[in-house]
Amino acid sequence: MQNDRFSSIWVVCPAYNEAGAIVPVVTGLRKAGYHVVVVDDGSVDQTRQLAAGLATAVVGHPVNLGQGAALKTGIDFALAQGADAIVTFDTDGQHRPSDIPRLLDALVRNQADFALGSRFLTQPPNMPRMRRILLWAATLFTVATTGLHLTDTHNGLRALTRRGAAALRLRQNRMAHASELLAEIARSRLRYVEVPVTIDYTAYSLAKGQRTGDFVMILLDLLARKLYR
Amino acid sequence: MIAQLVLSLLLSVVLIYAWAEYRRSPIVAVLSCAVSLLGFYFVWIPSHATRVAELFGIGRGADLVLYLWVCISLIVLLNLHLKLRTQHELLTALARSIALANATLTAESAHHAGRARASSVKEEQPS
Repeated sequence: MQNDRFSSIWVVCPAYNEAGAIVPVVTGLRKAGYHVVVVDDGSVDQTRQLAAGLATAVVGHPVNLGQGAALKTGIDFALAQGADAIVTFDTDGQHRPSDIPRLLDALVRNQADFALGSRFLTQPPNMPRMRRILLWAATLFTVATTGLHLTDTHNGLRALTRRGAAALRLRQNRMAHASELLAEIARSRLRYVEVPVTIDYTAYSLAKGQRTGDFVMILLDLLARKLYR
Repeated sequence: MIAQLVLSLLLSVVLIYAWAEYRRSPIVAVLSCAVSLLGFYFVWIPSHATRVAELFGIGRGADLVLYLWVCISLIVLLNLHLKLRTQHELLTALARSIALANATLTAESAHHAGRARASSVKEEQPS
């Protein structure tokens, strides 16, 4: 699918042991007309083999590094392919390809470099209470540490222009990458916009999603980065 | 006297460690240095250690020195954790480089995206 402004749109799908979900996700994106790069993050199941027959490109980490590292690899790859817009898209089936055109349009309409999906700009999603509380705390943390005013800080669906993607310096390999990415957006001083998107919670995506303990590790990772050069 | 000498030797090692670490992690180095110097002070003037210990409700100066030693251990542990992270970053860079060099593209995408890095990817026909 092409946008008026963007001629080469790449969707980056980080995947770790996603054999149970990757086929419909990549098929949906390919049917919508996007270039799809699946970054297999050292899966031990059939993720890489399944993706190889469907995606435009497959990049495989030799060992498991984490979702943040996979995203960075995918973004680097897409930039090297000449992408002028890059979309990040989780592979557990919680995102909808139909939301992507809205993100791209928002980039153009607002002359922004980052369009960030938000599940809270529409009808509040049917999510577990604990997750809602943690996401609310993450939002407060982000506002306090970056100054960005966002409603959803841990949404994997985003669109970046080439300039925006190139401006990001991502070092967090694991889940803290989402907070780091926002800190990088703030540092870049480039324009960002939030766009309503729909998250489909399934038993599969909830099982693959973050747990309460992950948020503690995210805080420790972010603190460690501040302490060390 | 023997205990004082042994403790001083250990604290000197921590000071050298802090000096060596300064370039990589100034915060950790300054913290270890400060706590070590405090340790030296209390080891050689135990009466002051007892007075400060009483002030904090610890009781004995020897206990205060012990607590300081625990603090030093924790700081060194933190530094080791941070070093491990740095090693992991190097591993990430290496793994990423291998992954990008061995990326698999379909012929269709290579045609579209083509120019930049066609030489470093293995092409395969779409199924």
